[in-house]
Formats: sequence, C-alpha cells, structure tokens
Amino acid sequence: MNWQGELNKYLASAYKNWIISRRNIFTVFELFFWPMISLLSIGLLTRFLKVDESMVSFLLVGSIALTVLQVAQMDVAYVLLFDMWSKSIKNTFIAPVHSYHLIFGALLFGIVRGSIVFGILIVVSRYLFGFDFQRGGLLPVLIFLAGVFATAAVIGITVCISILTFGQKADVAAWSLSGLILLVSGIYYPVDVLPPVLQMFARAVPLTYFLEYYRSIFIPGPHHLATGIFLAVFYLVLGLVLFDRAIDRARRTGILLRLSE
Amino acid sequence: MIEKSVEAKGICKRYKSFLGTGTTVLNNISLDIDVGEIFGLLGPNGSGKTTLISIFSTLIYPEQGSLSIMGLDARRDRGEIRKIINISTAKPNFPWSLTVRENLRHYGMLYGLYGSGLSRTVEDQIDAFELGDFRDLKFEDLSTGIKQRLSLAKSMLNHPRLLFLDEPTTGLDPDISIKIRALIRRIHEEENVAVVLSTHYMPEAEMLCDRIAFLRKGEVVALDTPQNLKNHLGLGERVVITYSGQADIGALGRLPGVLGLKSEIGRVEMVIDRSEDSVDRIVKLFQEAKILDINIKEPDLEDVFIELAR
Repeated sequence: MNWQGELNKYLASAYKNWIISRRNIFTVFELFFWPMISLLSIGLLTRFLKVDESMVSFLLVGSIALTVLQVAQMDVAYVLLFDMWSKSIKNTFIAPVHSYHLIFGALLFGIVRGSIVFGILIVVSRYLFGFDFQRGGLLPVLIFLAGVFATAAVIGITVCISILTFGQKADVAAWSLSGLILLVSGIYYPVDVLPPVLQMFARAVPLTYFLEYYRSIFIPGPHHLATGIFLAVFYLVLGLVLFDRAIDRARRTGILLRLSE
Repeated sequence: MIEKSVEAKGICKRYKSFLGTGTTVLNNISLDIDVGEIFGLLGPNGSGKTTLISIFSTLIYPEQGSLSIMGLDARRDRGEIRKIINISTAKPNFPWSLTVRENLRHYGMLYGLYGSGLSRTVEDQIDAFELGDFRDLKFEDLSTGIKQRLSLAKSMLNHPRLLFLDEPTTGLDPDISIKIRALIRRIHEEENVAVVLSTHYMPEAEMLCDRIAFLRKGEVVALDTPQNLKNHLGLGERVVITYSGQADIGALGRLPGVLGLKSEIGRVEMVIDRSEDSVDRIVKLFQEAKILDINIKEPDLEDVFIELAR
C-alpha cells in the first residue's frame, strides 16, 4: 500500500470524529461554553483575591492547560467511545488497521480542536485579564502545547484500554481521569503543596513538567522539561503497546463481540 | 492456486467467566471450505455459528486449533487476511450520525482507499446496493432493510475474496430478504467471492448454499450438500391424506414403510419411506373411504434441521 492509503488509515478516525462533532450540538459546549466558564471563573477569582500579575499567569496557564487537555483527551477516547456507543466496534477491528492508526488519527483531530480552544482562550484571557501567552516567544508555547497533547493522548489511550478490558462501564474513565490529573499535576497550585504520596504521582505525570516549564517564563524558576519529554514519549510508546495487548485480549475473551451487541 | 478459502482443524473456543469457570462455545471444529462455494452454517440459537464466523474473520481468536484463511495462517498473517476478507452481520450497526456515504467513506479509508479511487468505490457500492436515494440519510434514520444493504455495501468496499455473512436476512421483511439473497448470489457469481453464510432460515440455506455444516452445542454434527443431507439422514416423505368415511388407521401404522403417523378425524399425516411401495399399500387401505385430498411432500432442510437439532 502506498503512503496515501496508509495516511488515510490515520485520517479515517479524524474524519469520523469530525463528522460526529460537527453534527453534535454539545460540541459548542465542549469548544466554547465550558472553556469560557472555566477561564472566566479562574480569571475573576484572581481579581477577587487581588493576586499579582505573575500569579494571574500561573493560574490562567493551569486553567487553559486543563481545558485543552480535556478537549484533546476526549477526542482520543472518542475513537472507541463512538464505536462502542453505536455498537459498531467490530467493523473497525475487522479492518486491517493498527492501534496507532486509530490513536494518532483521533489525536490529530484532538490537536485541531484543542488548538482552536487554546486560540479562543488566549485571546479572551489577554483581553480580559492581560495575560500575554507569548512572553517567551512562540517556541515555548509550542513545546507547552505538545506536552498537553501528549498527556491527552496518554489519557485517551488509557480510556481505550479500560473500555477493551472492562467493557462499556469503563466509559466513566473518559471523564474522571482528567480530574485526577487536575489534582496531582499542579494545575492550580505548585506540586510542592501536595502530600508526599501525591507528589510522587505528580512527578510521574508529564504535564507537571510542561506546566513547570511554561510557567517558568512568567515566574522565573527551575524546570525539568527533559524529564517531561522523556515521560511523555515513554508513556505514549507504553500506551500503544498496552493498547495492542488490550485489543488482543479483547479478541481472546470475546469482549470485542460483546461490545458490538 | 488456492483451493480452500477456509481450512480449520480442531478449533476450540471457551469463554472464561470472572471466577475462572467457563463455557465451551466451540469444540473441536474441523472443516474445509472451497474457494468457489457458498458455504452455510446452520444450527439452533447458541450453537456457535456467530462465534465460528467471528473466528474465521479474525475478529476473535480460538483457544486451540489451526486455521488457514485463503492460504494464509490465521495466527501469523492476520493483517494480510483482514485485507482480503470482510463481514456483514445481522442487526448491522454503524456510527449513528454518519450518513450512508460518510459511513462508506470512513470504512473505505480504514481499508486504505484514497483519492478518486475511494470516491469511485463508495459510489459504486451505493449504486450496486441501490442506496442512491439514501446516500445522505444518517444511519439512525435508515430502515432495517437499508441498514442491511449498507452493511453489505461496506463489506464489499475492499473487494474481498472471502465474505462472511452472519444471518444477513434476520429480522427483514420477506421481500427485502429476497432482494438481499439475490444480492448475495450476485456478489458470489459476478465478483467471484467465496461466501460463508450463517442463517436460521432453512429455505435460504437450501437456495444459496453449495454445502452446509450443521452445528449443535458447538460441534459440527453434519456437513454435506443440502440434497445429500436429506438423503443420508433417511428422512421420509410427508404424506397427508384428507378423507371421509372409514379407514383402518391402526393397520396404516403397521404397514412396512410407514415411519410415523399422526391422525385425527378425517385427516391422517404420515412419514413414509417410498422405497417400500408404501403409497400403493396406503391407498389400498382407504378403499372403504373417499380420499378428498392427498399431498406428498419431499423432506426439506427444515426437517433435516429438526432431526439434527434433537
């Protein structure tokens, strides 16, 4: 098969997610309503608490990261969730596709949607709260976003693995895993304030390091970007391997058929 | 030159529960299917037809046994096998909010089709399965028959060499079922596609299949052509006589060649072996009565099914 055919195997998931999102009124809520509610809540809180400019940046970076993460990770998880909800999962897995076709295709669409959300939020946060996201130039922004999207991919893959391992009830993971990230990766506070046990978890989440790196532009301090990049790549590779295993297991146990009934 | 579309030896499948106990769904299935034939899988509910088709199509894996699909090893060459097979199932499901055309496009992409080739294949299948009037309707708005046609159209996107059809006419109106059967026959003949078909519906199997395997409790209990199955099982013909007056029903039951008998006033139903000249002898016993109607029916697959499912 030539490269165009191979490319289309990736784009198939993005195409499906795009059509479904386009026809779903709740996409408006996902892209505009909830992100705005989240940003405005945090921004107004900074006004109420009368925090300084660097602290406003700290909190808004966390708020924007969490929102973009949630949008992108849902898109990755949707690659199986839509199939599971419509009971069409076996049509996907009888086709000659690999786990990486599905994940990266869906992630591509997640990156597009996440970037749109990011664009909206930085414009609004600059206009309303004076947050200059480009203070360190474009490269730090791109590195930060890459970290957010990589973490989103890992969460999305975890949701997919859960679905194939535990069946339909596991779709709750799609909404709850980003909550865990919110708790441990220092979205609204430095990880130093966490209890020691949770700090260990925080140090295992790539987003923690990407947040630390991007915030260091607004509040100068040390960061460990290399660790974050290493963890993101490690989890992505591990996630894809485990996703392949979960597919194999679902074929052995028959869950793949039960998800289609 | 590949001669067998499927070669299965000793296929076993057991589903384990959470506590470790399990249910055996398929037990030691061995069968060969020729490339040029439409092969039927028949059996009562729970006999393992869908599981067997799912294993043949590499959707799920067997626990034991060896399987070769179109000459490819089903353990080693799964990716290659998936390129040359496809499946259409009963109660087909596709992403709800995608239209007929979008669904075909999406699955075409998963098979690596692209550019004008993808568009052409999608349009060809829309035409071939008479889906033109429904191309822009969402899947959730389609009738059952159209969904089934969409499922068949999807199963032909990659021009498979082997097609699995799992109860393709279940739940359809008779006129739609006739249409679907004609489509299956056409796919087999014009596209030169080997077909493995499971069905509950005996006339469908008799009409379409060159050979049939009967499954019962996860085992193949008979495998042959429809005609041979009827012959080998020695099923008699069914004779129904409606009469008025007196007939010696007790003597009828004792006649050689009468295999079974059920009677009520003015009507008697028998299963007979014609080789015993039983029809002549039966008619003679009705000399005192007036025969109003006599109906002789050859055994069909339904009778075979009932016999084998016992």
